[in-house]
Amino acid sequence: MLAVCTGCSLLCEDIELALKNGAISQAKNLCRKGYAHFQSLFTERTKPQVDGQKASMDEAIARAAEILRESKRPLLYGWSSSSSEAQREGIDLAKKLGATLDDTSSFSEGLLLERVLTGRLSTCTLDDVRNLADLSLFWGSDPSNSHPRLLSRFAYYPRGEKRQKSYEEERTCVVVDVRKSATAALCQQLIRLPPGGDAEFISTVAAVLEGKIPRSGDKKRMIELGTLLRKTEFGAIFPGAGLVHSLKEKMDLLEGLLEQLNRIAPFRVLPMVGHYNGRGFNQLLLDETGFINRVSFQEGQARHSREFSIMEAARSCDAALVIGSDPLSSLPFGVARALASVPLIAIDPRRSLTTDAAEVTLPSAMYGLEAAGTALRMDGVKIEFQPIVESSLMPDREILKRIGEAV
Amino acid sequence: MIEVKIVTFQDIFQYEAQKKGRYSEEYKKLSARIMLDKEDLEKLGIKDGDRVLVKNVNGSVVVAARISDEEPHPQPHPGLAFMINSLWSNQLVGDQADETSIPEFKNISAEVAPTEEQVTEIRELLERIRA
Amino acid sequence: MVGAMEVYQLLPKTNCKKCGYPTCIAFAVALLNREKKIEDCPPLFEPKYAEKLKKLRELLAPLEKASETGLIIHEEKCFGCGNCVVACPVNVAADPTGCAIGLGPKSDRVILVVEDGVVKCLNAKECRRFGPNRILCNACTATCPSKAIEFV
Repeated sequence: MLAVCTGCSLLCEDIELALKNGAISQAKNLCRKGYAHFQSLFTERTKPQVDGQKASMDEAIARAAEILRESKRPLLYGWSSSSSEAQREGIDLAKKLGATLDDTSSFSEGLLLERVLTGRLSTCTLDDVRNLADLSLFWGSDPSNSHPRLLSRFAYYPRGEKRQKSYEEERTCVVVDVRKSATAALCQQLIRLPPGGDAEFISTVAAVLEGKIPRSGDKKRMIELGTLLRKTEFGAIFPGAGLVHSLKEKMDLLEGLLEQLNRIAPFRVLPMVGHYNGRGFNQLLLDETGFINRVSFQEGQARHSREFSIMEAARSCDAALVIGSDPLSSLPFGVARALASVPLIAIDPRRSLTTDAAEVTLPSAMYGLEAAGTALRMDGVKIEFQPIVESSLMPDREILKRIGEAV
Repeated sequence: MIEVKIVTFQDIFQYEAQKKGRYSEEYKKLSARIMLDKEDLEKLGIKDGDRVLVKNVNGSVVVAARISDEEPHPQPHPGLAFMINSLWSNQLVGDQADETSIPEFKNISAEVAPTEEQVTEIRELLERIRA
Repeated sequence: MVGAMEVYQLLPKTNCKKCGYPTCIAFAVALLNREKKIEDCPPLFEPKYAEKLKKLRELLAPLEKASETGLIIHEEKCFGCGNCVVACPVNVAADPTGCAIGLGPKSDRVILVVEDGVVKCLNAKECRRFGPNRILCNACTATCPSKAIEFV
């Protein structure tokens, strides 16, 4: 049977599975990450629990609703590993509760994705990259480890309409990073920067493109890069968390560089999205409120501020609903501690540090495996998925709806 | 003792171990490590696999020191260390974020020193969070 | 990659010719080409060579797993990224609507596929490194991010 993988934001649709006695007997075309994701269907699944005791789904939902109803500053966090339908329910719930709403993009690709979704940075689809791009630039990203099939499906190795000779003759791959990652080992050029050195790198590139000799760094390499950029017919830039964390509030510099590059040829930006439907949430919230993350509905109309980011809201909230995410593992220690000190409701198909610390745990079905739904691929293309096994577990869109009714 | 800047990154094998078991030895082994340049290991007088205490103003954690395995041509990077983004590395990341409210995951200043202590267990880290 | 000298150091080095070759170095080369097996050298099984025999078996163990083209896959290192599947010229020629454009293989005549998260080698005889017109193609090894696929 054919399946869609929800292991990362590539949402590969060519997965061939054979099931036997409820287990996967053979899986084709899944990368190592996707395979681990599919196999996780069978281990460490959550069960409904309230205050450390086994409970029924109804009891757990009732208690979750009670916690949220009684809180004055509830926080709803996670979202990037939920279907678009569940995200829709989440936004409705946040409005109903006057809650703060934030997702995982808040501390990673958000700053960049915002500019892409609002049109300040030109983008394209992954299919465009495969068909047209003769340059793929991985900037502060290591897709070999995070999105393993990106290079083989789209960015470097496959043939495309205008790139029939592909990586052998018609595509070049460049990596800009602080270390020699697995992806860097494959590419023609690695430009190694010190941590925080991206702003200076951008100035140097800008200077080289104007025909000036760079004043610092590896001059020869930078001039070579300049020559390469000037010959490019269609450039695809894949910035990752590395670039976001380096530039932060100086993201305008990237816009400036892209403007300059676009005078040479089309250069498109495709931010690496961390979880399979991160872009879906950001797009949905943007369409709804004009902001991609960090909003509060406490005063009715959506407001956007850094005080509503998970970093700040973790401390100011008095209860939190965490959906499909494990902030106790993935966030800085101080933030994890703040979150653990308030009543937590965790909706997750699998056990995590967050579900182990939560007052209420609500098990949900895994998307693409046990439940149907839609999501946006990292380039914005909408992908639909169906379940491959039968399950009596509720998908999180259903759980959220029930909480909303009970609140 | 040496001072380093730590950059966190993602690793496919650690992801796999996490999916198989968050409390497993394999997950701990792949997460609780710091990759150091050969020169830095020498400065500390330790071998690949020895344990170190990594400490900064935000917290501390004991992990295994591993020689940085950049292939095929290792490029020296003394003073720069790499850790996989995990519960262990998050002990060192500050929660007083700047005006962008983005935590500093990619440029963490820390001190590294050899230690006889065992690698910090995940349960201990969970206890610290719930304390 | 194992070299003939490494193998030679673990042989008796007496040139006794019991294996059918005039010298131990010739036998070493034959072992690497898999024209001969370790058992074809009877003196190696004498007690005084026990240590060398053990080391020789360890040294040549990867060859046991290698296909006739000399291709070895280290599954524990493989990312399952599919770079080799999409880069392999045999795959591309056999599967213009599948591997050639980055998708999973749609044809049976491909030699590299990703199964259960890691790469597997089928139809090794179709590999261009094999047979009378062999060439030194290295598309799969050059595109691997982790050296999971290599030639002996």
